[in-house]
Amino acid sequence: MNFKERILTAMNHEEPDQVPVMGLIMDTATVNHILGKKPVDFVGMLQKPVVGTQIKSLLNTNRFWKRMYYDNFAGALGSAIKLGFDANWTICTLMRLNRDSQASLGWSWYDPYGRVWDLGRDAEGNLAVNYSRPLCDTEEKWEAWVAKRASLFETMIKNTASFHKKLVENYGAHIYSIGYAAPGIFENSWQPIGFVNFTRFIYQKPEFVKRVIAFQTDLYIRNLDAVMQSGVEVVLGGDDLGQKTGPMVRPDVVEKLYGESYRRVSDFVHQKKRKFVFHSCGNIYALLDKFVEWGFDGIITMEPTAGMDLGRVREQVGHKLVLIGNLDVSYLMVSGTQQEVEDAVKKAIGDAARGGGYILSTSHSHPLVDPTRMQWMVEAAHKYGRYPIGN
Amino acid sequence: MPNVALEELKSSFLSLDMEATLRVANTVIRGDDKATVKEAVDVVAQSLEIVGKRFQAGEWYLAELVYAGEIAKEAMNILSPLMQTGSSQSLGTIVIGTVAGDLHDLGKNIVVSYARSAGFRVVDLGVDVLAQRFIGAVKEHKPVALGMSCLLTSTERELAGVIEELKSQKLRDRVKVIIGGAALSEKVAYDVSADAFAPDAITGIDIMKKWSASA
Repeated sequence: MNFKERILTAMNHEEPDQVPVMGLIMDTATVNHILGKKPVDFVGMLQKPVVGTQIKSLLNTNRFWKRMYYDNFAGALGSAIKLGFDANWTICTLMRLNRDSQASLGWSWYDPYGRVWDLGRDAEGNLAVNYSRPLCDTEEKWEAWVAKRASLFETMIKNTASFHKKLVENYGAHIYSIGYAAPGIFENSWQPIGFVNFTRFIYQKPEFVKRVIAFQTDLYIRNLDAVMQSGVEVVLGGDDLGQKTGPMVRPDVVEKLYGESYRRVSDFVHQKKRKFVFHSCGNIYALLDKFVEWGFDGIITMEPTAGMDLGRVREQVGHKLVLIGNLDVSYLMVSGTQQEVEDAVKKAIGDAARGGGYILSTSHSHPLVDPTRMQWMVEAAHKYGRYPIGN
Repeated sequence: MPNVALEELKSSFLSLDMEATLRVANTVIRGDDKATVKEAVDVVAQSLEIVGKRFQAGEWYLAELVYAGEIAKEAMNILSPLMQTGSSQSLGTIVIGTVAGDLHDLGKNIVVSYARSAGFRVVDLGVDVLAQRFIGAVKEHKPVALGMSCLLTSTERELAGVIEELKSQKLRDRVKVIIGGAALSEKVAYDVSADAFAPDAITGIDIMKKWSASA
């Protein structure tokens, strides 16, 4: 079987020749390590007054942004191919660079939805970004923000379609490039407003919350449509619905607020004859039955640091969901021994791969994930993942 | 015989009805009821503790925990504007912050809100806190506990840096250190020589209460 057949067979809950292995490679540090590139001190350059202004102007042009983002994921796919992965995820985003006195390094990104992403350095000086705060903490600010961003949303949708198409055209013969429509409806509704504010609005302004979710659902479906124009049969999407000890919001409230939106998403993807795999970090046992009910075809992540055990997930959902992920990125894939990586791969395969429906991967991307450990993961998958899986 | 206003305060709080909770709090403040302000403050603190237990038991979720914290904050603004802590009893001081390079503060802010209501005096250093600020605050406020929040594994080394600095300044045996955050674990706490790891805000407060009791 080739990589595509392997992935699609597993997605159909059938047994391929061997357990497919998927990369979640996206961090510059990881790509640089694998491809032998040196880190670029982007933040250092930004902090030089004249150069910083020039870089800001350049990055805020759509042409340069598209090029930079494409190159990053071209590197990610190249890295995944080099390590022998069957698939890798690809994500397109759009941000604008701003000087920001509240940011740790004086700069931040604003995304089209109304979030601020703090711009920082990873341990090696590569650019790193993390969601830091909302820009729309009131109903009025949110309404004004989205009203002014209509053309930016159009740009984002066009970029997304061309980004995924081009990656598949250029790398599709060597790896299964699975597009991820991100961020999802839940994150797009609360993060631009802030979790505390959004929680207050759930209780105090439910009509506003409904309006935000409806807006984000329509936009999200357009984003998914753009991702699917690459022609790939599987599409990733989703939200971090969980935190370390459980769902962020009571499951019946998630159903009430988002159930219809997620059903629309699944229906839309299925109408296009694709499969929808949902990404959620955190402890999500309490939502697994909902995922099945909403029509998702699979889930990706299952973070061990949030207590997610692959065997328990398989026991709970059976073969109603394809499972992707679960290898720990806090220790195992950062500094675990080869034996520990091999043991974890064996356990994951034993827990979830019988009958197909399992794709081995790390539980997330992370700049500290070590390429050697990823190589060990792929090798162990080839060693222990041949079907039929033994006891 | 139970006081009707206090019963209503508790039930409206636990129903997450902010409007009703604040209405009762205002009734108490105006002296329209026999309940005293101190009793009302204690009811809010006790109710918040019940919310915490429900969260720990998996019966309530983060959004409810956060919203209950917001209700408590507003009720305390009415009931005890001049009080340092939400509770009528003091459990001592805690110093808390998110480590340098990390701007996440949702978990930290929940700890702050609940710790104040539990009776701690909280010195909140905010986010992106350099080691020297933690050290300075420990020297100045002599807290029962130093709490450090860290969501990113890439900033874990900051935790060890602060604890090493406490040791080098001979402050380590004067303060207990507790850490919390999405990527952290008991193992990280052990590796960096913290005294405890809190998987969630409420467990963290329980641990600090024990430290306070034995201080």
